[in-house]
Amino acid sequence: MKILAVCGFGVGSSMILKMTIQKALNELNVKGDVVNSDISDVKSQNADAIFTSPDFVNDLKKRVNTPLYPVKKYSDLEEVKGQVEKFLKDQD
Amino acid sequence: MMLNYYITEDYIDQMLESIEKFGTYIVLADEFALPHARPSEAVKKTGMSLLVVKNGVDLKNNDVKLFIVLAAKDSTTHTEVLQSLASFLMEKQNIKDVINAERVDDIETILEKRWK
Repeated sequence: MKILAVCGFGVGSSMILKMTIQKALNELNVKGDVVNSDISDVKSQNADAIFTSPDFVNDLKKRVNTPLYPVKKYSDLEEVKGQVEKFLKDQD
Repeated sequence: MMLNYYITEDYIDQMLESIEKFGTYIVLADEFALPHARPSEAVKKTGMSLLVVKNGVDLKNNDVKLFIVLAAKDSTTHTEVLQSLASFLMEKQNIKDVINAERVDDIETILEKRWK
């Protein structure tokens, strides 16, 4: 399983989001790869899910078929965990 | 950071442009923002700078009281420090305690104890 964490530049915020997702996966006892990327590089990454800001969702919807999970606050563990759980449920 | 030659004025413009272009996802937690732009010539040294605004700043309808500016010279040097930052931010009480600190010394003590 591969999850992509996306922000505008791929150097700061998406890295933080990646770590929050990893922490959520650990707490849920689920194994998975989390990779971060900038918005322009999304297409080259093959992922099962994309976690990103609600501001990017519409733009990404037009470009990729990967399921999108919006996250408002990238280091809010409860919010991220909620979206990870939603993603896992959608996988079943 | 500009005065200490970590960044040039261009970097400040780039950080502002990023908010206009991409929105406010740099508000990573309630009352916390991580202003930054992509690594560029405008960054002379990788570093971070912390600012507490007790009364808060309205960042497009987000009330932000704690800012940490990130200046990254490349896309790898700062990875470790971001790991520490991520863990620090996930404990929401840490953000509250830094904002409520009365003196710079108190902020340093909080960071010394809880920044891993």
